[in-house]
Amino acid sequence: MSACDGADADDASGSSVIDGVDAGVRRDRLIVLIGGDDTGPSSSGTVGQSDGRTAGGGPGELVARLRRVCSVAVAEIGVDGAGITVMGSLDGGLNGARDQLAATDGLARRLEDLQLTAGEGPCLDAYRRGRPVLVDDLAAESSRWLGFGPEAVLVGAAALFSLPLQVGAIRLGTLDLHRGTPGELSVGQLADALTLASLATEVLLELAKQPDHAVGDDAGREADIAAVPLAGWLPDVHADVHVAAGMLSVRDGGDVTAALLRLRAHAFAHGQPLHQVARRVITRDLVLDGVEKPAQSGPRADHDAPDGPPAAGPENEEP
Amino acid sequence: MSNGRETRIVDAFLTLTDTLVHDFDSLDMLTMLCERCVELLDVEAAGVILTDGTGGLSVAAASSERTRLLEVFAVAIDAGPCVECINTGQAVISEDLTTPAAREHWPRYAPGALDAGFRSTHALPMRLRDEVIGVLTLLHTDRHTLTESDARLGQALADAATIGLLHERAVHQAWTVQEQLQGALNSRIIIEQAKGVLAAQGNISPDDAFTILRSHARSHGLRLTELARDVTERSVDLTSVVRPAL
Repeated sequence: MSACDGADADDASGSSVIDGVDAGVRRDRLIVLIGGDDTGPSSSGTVGQSDGRTAGGGPGELVARLRRVCSVAVAEIGVDGAGITVMGSLDGGLNGARDQLAATDGLARRLEDLQLTAGEGPCLDAYRRGRPVLVDDLAAESSRWLGFGPEAVLVGAAALFSLPLQVGAIRLGTLDLHRGTPGELSVGQLADALTLASLATEVLLELAKQPDHAVGDDAGREADIAAVPLAGWLPDVHADVHVAAGMLSVRDGGDVTAALLRLRAHAFAHGQPLHQVARRVITRDLVLDGVEKPAQSGPRADHDAPDGPPAAGPENEEP
Repeated sequence: MSNGRETRIVDAFLTLTDTLVHDFDSLDMLTMLCERCVELLDVEAAGVILTDGTGGLSVAAASSERTRLLEVFAVAIDAGPCVECINTGQAVISEDLTTPAAREHWPRYAPGALDAGFRSTHALPMRLRDEVIGVLTLLHTDRHTLTESDARLGQALADAATIGLLHERAVHQAWTVQEQLQGALNSRIIIEQAKGVLAAQGNISPDDAFTILRSHARSHGLRLTELARDVTERSVDLTSVVRPAL
């Protein structure tokens, strides 16, 4: 848990040790390498620390952060290249467009083009199925994607690892890694890859929250928005938070993505644990109203039920 | 062993490993595992906790969606027998959580479980060869030790469920354990989101929403996770799944 994220401090975060590293330690190390945690010690590596620190937290900085996720993947996981592709709509912002927001090399871009052309490939499978697609030896499995596989081998991909960027039914895109030589990811490398995928998901959620979702050519125009440090909060999200997001989406008439972001924003703004806010939404003791919705009349205080206590505190933990 | 029980045991194994039916859903199967454990092993509650590939652990299924029970499993993950079971690959048993030794060993878990009404715990590893992919946790309200044959049955059910969970691996040989586990854990999040959607839509509790979701999937031959996704994305008419309570 990073220091900047006190709001979730007592959410469940049980972990065992993978390859000698605890999940939280692994996550914090990768956050520092990405350079999203401005309060942390600076990275000792050479992986893009400079480009993101200067920009604000607007789309430009968020896209820069995605690029650093990719370069950290290359530096830490022992892959030759990485890319992040968004699919579907980010809360309507991209209107169903599919766009590669970051790529470390030409091959990452080429592989994305190939999948777009062929309409198939590991990235699309990972996105649709909601699970990683780990192809250790593409040449041996090229028949898995008849249009994409042989072409991908021809342009130099020998192993491909696509990880979905998702939170349950919220599907945002994929983190795609490639290698020029066949071979599987080690347990520790896979743990790093999954952790980076969850950090990239957090960045994409931030991007979905941006007022006009400007990406690509428009990137950087919103650079005056305050920087939101990368917190690594998603893996610790309590099950109740997802239930509350589902409920809130119905009450708001919005989608689950917006609902999750509102819960998170409320918890952050009020310094309350996320799962506590979720419990109070579930027990209907807390109604979030207008929070984080720039198009409406602006932020308002939350309204408690008539018989409810004031906003703060753990009073309503149990119904 | 009575004939009735024998039949139920056979049925349980058939259900857990009947993975080729078109509407097989790993989350539904794991929920059934928990329910069968409660029926067959003389325990009050059961839960399945899975590893997530980064060192994290999450509740994937439980014999009941009661909030208090899910809380107990959450603490079992955080500061209880589950992590020990995962790390050692061995069953971790406490037949009496009221003893000073148990309270000292699990300063958060023991009081939490007792507070929720559970006095004993069995954590059984879900193993695939040398890899532990999860834990089947059994809870009892009294001081309790499984008989040797029940402990063996519990482990066999856990093993059968592990095979069921990884079934698509056999169907699609290229798929890895981690692909399966990640898919199952994300499915669980989809189900939580869908529980919330149905609870708000029907003005019912999340537990009841889960029951409705599951029986709707069953009666319509749908995979639980796919129905949950449709509910969350509103690509199914919510009123056809749940009628708002009047």
